[in-house]
Amino acid sequence: MTEHPLVEMQGITKRYPGVTALRDVSLSVRAGEVMALVGENGAGKSTLLKILAGAQRADEGSIRVNGEQASILTPRDSQTNGIAVIYQELNLANDLSVAENIYVGREPRTRIGTIDFRAMEVGSAKLLSSLGINVSPKTLVGDLNIALRQMVEIAKALLVDARVVVMDEPTSSLTEEEVETLLTLIRRLRETGVSVIYVSHRMREIYAIADRITVMRDGSVVGIRDAAATNADEIVTMMVGRELGDLYGKREAALEPAAVPALEVRHLGAGKLLHDASFTVDPGEIVVLAGLIGAGRSHLAMTVFGARARTAGEILVSGKPVRYRNPAQAIAAGIGFVPEDRKKQGLFLGLPVRENIASASLASLSRMSFISRLRERDLARKHSSQLNLRASAIDVAVGTLSGGNQQKVVLARWLARKPRILILDEPTRGVDVGAKAEIYHLIRSIAAEGVAVVVISSELTEVLGVADRIVVLREGHGVGEIQAEDATEQKIMALATGVEESVS
Amino acid sequence: MSIKGDTVSPSSTVQTSPKSQLPGASEPSSSRFRDYALRLVRARESTLAAVLILLIIGLSFASPYFFTVGNLTIVGRQVALALIISTGMTFVILIGGIDLSVGSIVALVSVLSGEFMVTIGLPPVLAILLSLIAGAVVGLINGLVNAYVGIPSFVVTLGMLAVARGLALGITSGSTISGYPAGFLNLGQGSVFGIPIPVIFAVVIAVGAHIVLTRTTFGRHVFFVGSNEEAALLSGIRVRRIKIAVFIVSASLASISGLLETARLSVGQPSAGDGYELLAIGAAVIGGASLFGGVGSILGTFLGTTLLLLIQNALILLGISAYWQQVFSGVIIVAAVALNMWRKRR
Repeated sequence: MTEHPLVEMQGITKRYPGVTALRDVSLSVRAGEVMALVGENGAGKSTLLKILAGAQRADEGSIRVNGEQASILTPRDSQTNGIAVIYQELNLANDLSVAENIYVGREPRTRIGTIDFRAMEVGSAKLLSSLGINVSPKTLVGDLNIALRQMVEIAKALLVDARVVVMDEPTSSLTEEEVETLLTLIRRLRETGVSVIYVSHRMREIYAIADRITVMRDGSVVGIRDAAATNADEIVTMMVGRELGDLYGKREAALEPAAVPALEVRHLGAGKLLHDASFTVDPGEIVVLAGLIGAGRSHLAMTVFGARARTAGEILVSGKPVRYRNPAQAIAAGIGFVPEDRKKQGLFLGLPVRENIASASLASLSRMSFISRLRERDLARKHSSQLNLRASAIDVAVGTLSGGNQQKVVLARWLARKPRILILDEPTRGVDVGAKAEIYHLIRSIAAEGVAVVVISSELTEVLGVADRIVVLREGHGVGEIQAEDATEQKIMALATGVEESVS
Repeated sequence: MSIKGDTVSPSSTVQTSPKSQLPGASEPSSSRFRDYALRLVRARESTLAAVLILLIIGLSFASPYFFTVGNLTIVGRQVALALIISTGMTFVILIGGIDLSVGSIVALVSVLSGEFMVTIGLPPVLAILLSLIAGAVVGLINGLVNAYVGIPSFVVTLGMLAVARGLALGITSGSTISGYPAGFLNLGQGSVFGIPIPVIFAVVIAVGAHIVLTRTTFGRHVFFVGSNEEAALLSGIRVRRIKIAVFIVSASLASISGLLETARLSVGQPSAGDGYELLAIGAAVIGGASLFGGVGSILGTFLGTTLLLLIQNALILLGISAYWQQVFSGVIIVAAVALNMWRKRR
């Protein structure tokens, strides 16, 4: 085939002071092709995409679009070359309508020079329906779920005739169902000749849509494969540079049923999002709360943790009813909580790793309210090495670490407190495969020490891999419980979506 | 188009060696002294300190009066009174808030001290205590409204700016109070071993605040709340308590400064402290504090306060009209922050 690739990045090198982020990296995408770009966090994917988006400049290398040398120095250059980048953090104004967002910066005008809302709505409706997106152009973006917002962003890109759409981990906060919708949309894009560069950690999605896969590790491309001619094991091995072994880890000793559960939730309700949820967790057991996003799982966890007001039901810790008015009380009672959004809810990004790890343990590190720096340092060292934290120093700001390492810092905070009950909300979101395996093994070993573990997960493979028992929620109600050995993806989805009411 | 097997694979396909050489994993061993020196140079405050030193050198050449004991004592007292307020402001800014009411608190406390001490004739110690309590209560109200009603501190303290000033004017019907006992005036005008008493107050307060912020759990909690309020809450920090405490600290320090200033000027006046909030905010921001919270230091605030007041002093010594001083102060604030940002980016 002699046709030029649509976009071709060649010999891209990018150096930061002290680090070479990209070393002679090449990436090419053909017209109407889905190219998956995979690699662990820190492999250089984001830097490469930023260069393509014009947000960063390469030190060496060239970019060709349609066979012609293109100079992409600013985001605008990237746009005029038909490249649209959709970042994890979406660029949408939540208080404006879908149509206004799609047309932002290129609003059609009426004859007297005011914005032609009518034309905008008609145009948006046409665009959205051609993409199979079922949203009214008048809806406020803030009222849409994340999946739909992403699609609005894609529509916005297509309005300016983007020929290459770059998606940076678009599914990291989507439910399985939403992922399917997005993948369908990507297939539709491909049919119309648009190329897609798709960054993801999830092998299943990659195999569902990618034509080719480019694998990066440590700032270099380690291989390009035809999706049809390779398998997930090979790709993962290429990504991490070693065999991962068993991803989830296994329970070593059989679980003894406890006399009293570590945590018991009875008919818990909290506001509009949680109505009636019940479950128990024994010491040493891992219970996964499964369900669609919005099923009330995070709300449930926050309520148990004292961060949301309970309006109905009971919470029992070690058999005793409790009523926590704030997280401080829950923590004092031995509960730890790793929140869903580590950047917004978990970490003090500008502060050092050491202070982040010690943040929930200050009382035990201080005397007369004076913090012992020595003991703080020891604590941070001990728990960061236990977690195989790659931070060379515990004194760097936590915001400079990769997603996986940031998550380990949040975990370290709770391990340092030796909780009796640990709740983890989407513990591996946006975390690379290597760190994922470490986190799974860690969860396993925490449970083996007798901690009662509650995991919230929207990734079915994770649910099945981690759980001893699975509790499914739907629309704020507990709808069923499945033992790990009887669980299948179908059973969980049926409960989560309510397709088959009979399964329980 | 068809997908053919024409895929390229640059470099060897899969390296099996484990990842061992991560950037920065091996720390070069270096002497302790060099580490310390590097930390000193890289510290956020070092640029500001350098600017300040240059300014002092320049001033000593530009004006023969600058390095006189008389002038330095005046500057010292001014810096001291301002630093006490800026220190409190730093606490508030560290949690991502702002306290616009400090100038009005100075006025209120100034007037109350006069009412208690002169008009009613209470013993000075009791009068001082009551005035300070009144100031702290203003902070408590600021904090309670901010933490429990959820109104942004900018709005709460903007309201309090008017309320406290209005109270000061209302209580005195706009007039000043004089006739303070000599013992009280000594607090503002006297010296110990040649060091003005307000300077001693300021040093103790600033050093104390520095220790609180860097060494104690309360100080750490202040940084946590400013860095990420929700994460702080979910880490078991009583965020509301911290907020309230911080506003009480700010108001109390403003009250102390107000008392010292009243003693220095020998009058209780409802117009005292006008515009002090801007000076204090400017000082903290010049010192590297971020209005988004979580970033800032007492050392920086000290340097910022000194810089602003030295420039005022310089303009006076150089015979430039007082009307123009604000222009310079304004430009300095923006320029200093720009310098900080430029330095951070490099």
